[in-house]
Amino acid sequence: MRRLAPFVVLVVVVALFNGSLSGRFHLRVLTLAVVWALAGVAWNLMAKAGQISLGHSAFVGIGAYGFTILLRDGGTSPWVGMAVGMGVAAALALVIGLPTFRLKGFYFTLATISFPLIMELLVSHYGEPEFTVPFHPENEWKFMEFSNAHTYVWVGLGMLLVALVISELIDVTSFGFALRAIRDNEVLARAVGIRTVAWKSAAFMISAALSAAMAVLWVKAVLRVTVAEEVFGITVVIVMLSVAFVGGVGQTWGPVVGAAFLIPLAMFLDDSIGESVPGAQELVYAAALVLVALLIPRGILPAAERGCRRLAGLVDPEGRGRGWQVVQRLAAPPPRPSPLLSVPRKVPSRRIPSTDGAPVLEVEGIAKSFGANRVLSDVTFEVDAGRRVGIIGPNGAGKTTLFNIMTAHLRADAGRIRFKSVAIDAMRAPRRYELGISRTFQVPQGFHLMSPLDNVVVAAIGAAVTRPVHASMAMLDRVGLADKALGELSSLTVAETKNLELARAMVSEPELLLLDEPLAGLNETERVRFFQIVDDLVAPQTAIVVIEHSVRSLIRYVDSVVALDEGRIIAEGPPEDVVSDPAVIEAYLGSKWMKRA
Amino acid sequence: MIEFLQFLVPGILIGGVYALLASGLGLIFGVMRVVNFAQADFMMLAMYLSWALFAGGIGLDPFLAMPGVFVVFLLLGMAVHWLFIRFVIGRRENHDAQVILTIGLGLIFQNLILIRYSSEPRVVAPSYANDGDFIGDIFISRARLYAFLLSMLVAALLFLFLNRTATGRAIRAASENWEAATYMGIDIDRTNRIAFGVGVALTAVGGSALVTFQSITPFVGLRFVVVMFAAVVLGGLGSVGGAFVGGVLIGIIQSVSQVWTSAAVKNVWVFGLFLLILYVRPNGLFGKVQRAI
Repeated sequence: MRRLAPFVVLVVVVALFNGSLSGRFHLRVLTLAVVWALAGVAWNLMAKAGQISLGHSAFVGIGAYGFTILLRDGGTSPWVGMAVGMGVAAALALVIGLPTFRLKGFYFTLATISFPLIMELLVSHYGEPEFTVPFHPENEWKFMEFSNAHTYVWVGLGMLLVALVISELIDVTSFGFALRAIRDNEVLARAVGIRTVAWKSAAFMISAALSAAMAVLWVKAVLRVTVAEEVFGITVVIVMLSVAFVGGVGQTWGPVVGAAFLIPLAMFLDDSIGESVPGAQELVYAAALVLVALLIPRGILPAAERGCRRLAGLVDPEGRGRGWQVVQRLAAPPPRPSPLLSVPRKVPSRRIPSTDGAPVLEVEGIAKSFGANRVLSDVTFEVDAGRRVGIIGPNGAGKTTLFNIMTAHLRADAGRIRFKSVAIDAMRAPRRYELGISRTFQVPQGFHLMSPLDNVVVAAIGAAVTRPVHASMAMLDRVGLADKALGELSSLTVAETKNLELARAMVSEPELLLLDEPLAGLNETERVRFFQIVDDLVAPQTAIVVIEHSVRSLIRYVDSVVALDEGRIIAEGPPEDVVSDPAVIEAYLGSKWMKRA
Repeated sequence: MIEFLQFLVPGILIGGVYALLASGLGLIFGVMRVVNFAQADFMMLAMYLSWALFAGGIGLDPFLAMPGVFVVFLLLGMAVHWLFIRFVIGRRENHDAQVILTIGLGLIFQNLILIRYSSEPRVVAPSYANDGDFIGDIFISRARLYAFLLSMLVAALLFLFLNRTATGRAIRAASENWEAATYMGIDIDRTNRIAFGVGVALTAVGGSALVTFQSITPFVGLRFVVVMFAAVVLGGLGSVGGAFVGGVLIGIIQSVSQVWTSAAVKNVWVFGLFLLILYVRPNGLFGKVQRAI
């Protein structure tokens, strides 16, 4: 119901305006508001993953040119032209996206900015800088040649609704979870099996295709002439950015709100003072961008939601009055998308079939250098199913590097790693997770814009668990976080975030669990309690590798210990033997302690 | 071969100016991890200032006006940092706000200039604008030669500033490791402000070196956006020296491409290279490849 209401409001509002407006200019404003809302919704799909594209005018230009050329040279219906343009735009999105999706930071944004500029150059130089869309009055619907200008608004509304439904569907399925996880913490997302490049590519391709579709409507209903400078122009991107950021970046309904505000404002301003002030429209968008950046970086919708909640608190802090309940319902966070996610799905297992007798993990001859600094040399050990191995060593021994190699953060220079007899050296983090290798982080990681429950749900989705929400809730219950499942991540204590890490790592029912200094920051009681929870969660056949600086708490828990110093294994065996080994004592304490030992 | 050289030499000359444009952008990114999308519009403003000084009565030569342009844009940059940029500094969370803030500021600059001076192209034509000398068969434009030499001079001064002054060292420290710099007692807000001012001023000086052979419109910055970003990525994001070398390379590629294709599409080559770099060496020609695992 809650998700349906905005659709009803949108249709009613547009219908009222479309029915009552008759002047050419007013109708133009309405049409453009719908066109740019559509463009903004398309652009925003990418922003759901935290990616800012400055190149969407490339897709708009392709859409505009594609259908015009097909219509002129082949008499093809603009609807067919639209479909072709969408396909080409999606393919181009893949070309732009793939090289940059694996990189951190600004590369995506930087790569996108130049595409439309270059395409405009190429089209203007080698193609045609502009041409008029041929007039085909003989068949209104086939050629999108409506004699009644109101029809364009209806068509635009229809397209906008389709785009909004797509956006909503993304929000409530694992697609949306993956995109939000990527936006929040990409490294963690990959560690819990989210194939970030694939999801980002999919979002970018859909976004590009919708932008190309929008272009057909824009040209047919408003421009009537396809001009390279306009359809490939940076202004297209500016308007998309403005409507999306003003309304709410990454939010499905954000661009609709943004367009409803900005487009009429810009156009009425342009109409009244545009003669004397040539850049009035652009100034509206520019001012909107600057103000949003400084005042409400996440946009009007989230700000309004927060405001409502605060207002509710002020009016009736006890929360008893009826008025408060209404406001609270309005301001409540959107309902959890559990219905769709809870449907049991049939997912083929990506696990390796059981191999009798073979060790779960075989690390063989691993070496790694950073420049001239040799950090690991010839590290070899095995872990059998159900065994717990501790890796100890003083600071700088190479523990973290070894851990990073096992978790696909780093590539080894030499050696190999096998998981259940399968070489995993070339596999990236998401694939290793799917195979059944889970990890925790030394500094607990989280998706900070999500609830603790959703943090685990992402991992469950990454592992293709059949009922992700149920499985996650059950897991939170077992680590004692059930009552905080829907709270804020930031309100958890250190021990609780460690438990959340465990829940996230265990929801996939891994066969190998890698713990990175899990005891750091915990006191003695919490340390004991931590291992009790691990014992409770971990299936008996699961192998565990713990990297730990604190030897004392560790040796009580593990079956065997591997001691590293200066990148080499200096001792290996049962914990009590290793800790009394002279080489280990020397490595930890220095040679002068040897005499006392 | 001689045709190649005829394009190579002007390419190096213009590349020197691109180097200056890009080093400003690189400096700002290096110190505060902000990609300043308004950088090319600061360049545009500086071009208008040079034009106004030249055409507006006093007839000041753009090359002589450079020190003045530098000071004006140093102050303007520091003011813009103090008024706007400092509120969106910070690592991950402010990323979006930085992008839209700097894009918005650039747009405001463009449209204010449009309102004031219209979109009519402006030209600065000092007496030597069309002069040049032949060295062998290679024509060297006087204006481009001056622009190149001045860019090198500014680059040398920048090098001295970054290496020999306390403020310059603070900027380098902040660029290397922001957090450690604060522990060493470096006032990060002041360092950022100065770095932003210097970065903007460097690009501004580059812009005024261009005016004797580049016509000026409110939207001239857009043409240089690709050039500047490509140069910065080529040299490795955040490295001033890398951005400098990147700028020279871009100038050469742009110019030499005219052996094969029309001058109108020279930026297509720049862009092709930009993409290639992103594919094979995303941290630049000199940087270590860093991937989000």
